[in-house]
Amino acid sequence: MAAFSGYPRIGIYTGGGSSHSWLWFADLFERLGFWDLCFLDEAAVRQGALEHVDVLAVSGGDTFALAGALGCEGAGAVRRFVERGGIYFGSCAGAYLPMPSSKLPLNLFNFVDVRIANLASKIPPALRLREKFYTRYGCRYVFHPVREEILLGLKSKELLSSSSTIKAPLYGGPAMLPGEAVKVIASYKGFTEKTVFLTEEETCRITLIDKAAVVRCPLGDGCFYLFGPHLEHPRYPEANRIVGEILAVETGTRLPDGEEQSQTTAEPGLRIRSFNSALRRELGNARIVAAAMEFLNVRWIIGAKCYEPEKLRVFIEAMWRRLPLVEKNIATSENAEQLLSLGARTTHLLRELKTAVDEGRESDRLASNLFRVLRDYTACFLHLYFQTIKSLETVCRGKTGRLNHGLA
Amino acid sequence: MGIRVDALKCTGCMACEMACGYHRDDAFALLSSCIVAYRTREKKDYFGVILKEEESLVIARPEGVEVRKIGAAGESGGDSSAKPMLLRESCDLCSGMDAGPMCVRFCPVDAIILE
Amino acid sequence: MEYLSSGKILIVDLASSETREEELDEGLISKRIGGAGINNYLYNSYKDYDPIVLGAGILTGTLYPASDLSVLTARSPVTDNVCHCPVTLKAGIEFKYCGFDYLVVLGASAKPVFLWIHDGVADISDGSGVWGKDVWQTTDAWRRDMGDDLIQTLVIGKAGETGSDLAQVSVNYWGSGDVWGFASIFGKKRLKGIAMRGMGLLEIEDPEGFVEESMRLLESVKTGPWKGRSGLYDLLVSLGKNDVADWVAPLVHRNSASYNVPYAGNTFVYLDEDPSLLKEPQGAEPGLLLTSPYGLIAAKDMGLSAMDACRLIRSCLRYGIDPEMVALIASRDAKKRREDIESSMDSLERKGMKPWRPPFSPMVPRQPVFADFGVEGEPGQLEQWWLQRQALAYVFGIDPLFLIMSPELTAQSMIEAVRIGSGIEISEETLDGLVSEICGCN
Repeated sequence: MAAFSGYPRIGIYTGGGSSHSWLWFADLFERLGFWDLCFLDEAAVRQGALEHVDVLAVSGGDTFALAGALGCEGAGAVRRFVERGGIYFGSCAGAYLPMPSSKLPLNLFNFVDVRIANLASKIPPALRLREKFYTRYGCRYVFHPVREEILLGLKSKELLSSSSTIKAPLYGGPAMLPGEAVKVIASYKGFTEKTVFLTEEETCRITLIDKAAVVRCPLGDGCFYLFGPHLEHPRYPEANRIVGEILAVETGTRLPDGEEQSQTTAEPGLRIRSFNSALRRELGNARIVAAAMEFLNVRWIIGAKCYEPEKLRVFIEAMWRRLPLVEKNIATSENAEQLLSLGARTTHLLRELKTAVDEGRESDRLASNLFRVLRDYTACFLHLYFQTIKSLETVCRGKTGRLNHGLA
Repeated sequence: MGIRVDALKCTGCMACEMACGYHRDDAFALLSSCIVAYRTREKKDYFGVILKEEESLVIARPEGVEVRKIGAAGESGGDSSAKPMLLRESCDLCSGMDAGPMCVRFCPVDAIILE
Repeated sequence: MEYLSSGKILIVDLASSETREEELDEGLISKRIGGAGINNYLYNSYKDYDPIVLGAGILTGTLYPASDLSVLTARSPVTDNVCHCPVTLKAGIEFKYCGFDYLVVLGASAKPVFLWIHDGVADISDGSGVWGKDVWQTTDAWRRDMGDDLIQTLVIGKAGETGSDLAQVSVNYWGSGDVWGFASIFGKKRLKGIAMRGMGLLEIEDPEGFVEESMRLLESVKTGPWKGRSGLYDLLVSLGKNDVADWVAPLVHRNSASYNVPYAGNTFVYLDEDPSLLKEPQGAEPGLLLTSPYGLIAAKDMGLSAMDACRLIRSCLRYGIDPEMVALIASRDAKKRREDIESSMDSLERKGMKPWRPPFSPMVPRQPVFADFGVEGEPGQLEQWWLQRQALAYVFGIDPLFLIMSPELTAQSMIEAVRIGSGIEISEETLDGLVSEICGCN
């Protein structure tokens, strides 16, 4: 454990309102070598889990649902966490959350002096992806002019050693208008050939360009970092590096090199082997159904968000590619029973959902239930994974890229 | 330049899928391929090929080839898919491989061509 | 065993409901290569437990042309010989990607079970829900229950459950080359079948070298005389059965190929839809896939219409019984009406019909097809040639039909592919000895 004692303990929010993108934070911190991770749902946040972490990462999802799940107690916990010196990373929905609002339950989270630039009384015409284009916000609309890749100009030279322009993906995150005490780290600078315009390009330009994309907002002894684009997205290493640098600067640590060598010598005992086998069985069963659903022409509306079947695979593969390392675990996990039970439940729900879709039945409610269980399952699994990393002091970093990894 | 699939010439042998998987994983595997033999309607003898390109999803079926723009509105009124085949990379025409697109090279009946 | 393999042998004991794994030793591959070669070794190792062995070839599931084959090995209750049934379509490679190269099923279960194999995991699952169901219902049920239409199956129907020696193990819905009553061994073991989903990965020792060699071979294969031909129609014509080809042609929908096989040797016929339909049919079961010409030939000889013949074959596939034998027995018994034959399937008997003795399936014609192998004329030479080509197919995991069409796929090219792909050197003497052993394995 000594190797990790100098690094911050990071909590990743996995509870109500979060989408699959919190997995990107887990991937990113793992790649950066920050392995002291825990996964927190709304109940954990309300019950004081933030007292034991240095950093809280809240990724994308449904902002209203996030606020609703955390509620008054959660809001208080987040505020106290930052005031006592905690670092809040909010990406996309996680960035909207602490901005000022008059709407319940968002108004419980009025922590920063940053306004939304992509807010309108009348929505501009949608060219595509209508259901992803806007969200009702009282009598106004938060609209998302572009999706996919955008260019960011970096503003904070003392904090950042990277180049002055980077690319990052935008999936509904805010363009921001910062108050005086707020420091702009990066602003929207332009579009790329991969930018998808959801409305007229001129409207996109007016709404986004030169608006803040990444900001730092102090509160008490801590601060909020709000990312409009998903800097944690796995295919954008330059953007990832910014998160790492912020983390290193704010927590006074260096970026770990993450090149630990395997020191594993012990073999798992019979009980652990039996657990590992059960874990592989259930995860494999779930993975088969999730892969089979990849091409189904269906989408589910859950809260204010639209979910495609491919996202099921994102959760499952996040676990699957880490399975070989978990199978090296030599200690009994305290959450073994819970993990297997969540695995079995996930497989059951996936199969039920596939049947419902095949038969043309309504499946939104099933999907909603499944995504909730899948979130818990993945969080529980990752908890064990990072426990295993720490106990083995090893990592299979070079092998985590393959989707098929886990069998060989 | 792009890949064109003749669905009626296709015999569903999956060589393209495995060749693409090799390009992605440097091993034999199927889950990363951006070209996939569509074969879930086995009892109906209804098969074809799906190809994920940078901006579109090409669905080559017996009745013809449909190109769904990623992010564009489909027949159902919604988008065909915001991120189809999310975990699979788009076709890069096997950049970096001297032999050119592997699916083209390994199709035994020339149902996939580069044009 | 690191390359072109998952390196594992799965042993399933149905009597004790236990499974265990053994390492696949590289030394074993050097001596017995794979497929039927290692199947025989495993059969003999466990012969006191009435084993069924399923094995993949060393080249199965790669880009070596026509590498579609896995092999089912058991002692035939019909001939009392150890025989090898080809597992083609997509099922042969599905097994290889499940995480095991070999599966040995021992003993008998007290209650109906099936094996569910995936991701290096094997479950002996309750089969009571599908016991009594036909082949199609069972495959449908497994695909539905496990949530994936790409699950491949080896399954028996009622014929296998009741111990008919005409019973045939079926690959998915479409029968197989089993003419030895293997399905009745499954039935005796109370094993309804094996469901497989392979989502694994095979490492290659020299990936570029292997793929280049495969590509070179394919280029050479593509100039062969099979090019431009397709399906059972052209196969029947090459066998001199133009009348059968023309008789069934109006029902033909499309031809399709097994995994990575250049020749589309399987033909789908539509019985309840317009065969010219080029969109997804409304009906769930519009026809059937024909994977061998011989059921058709025998059914035509009975005097049935093509439509009735295909309906009869479909009934046989569902019941899990060898369609060719059913047609031959019906001819022998002078049964003319399809309905009469269908209603008497549970009482058909082989009585006096000569069983097929060679260790490889007769679903593959006993002569070169399209190509010239230079073997015609000499007495006995053709039979020897056929046995050797089949042995190569069953050892390396290459489609046995395509091997009688493509002289370009030589033993040397397979040995070389194994060397590049796995680093294992196989001598020609080793291969010759193994081929002789398998061909004469009685």
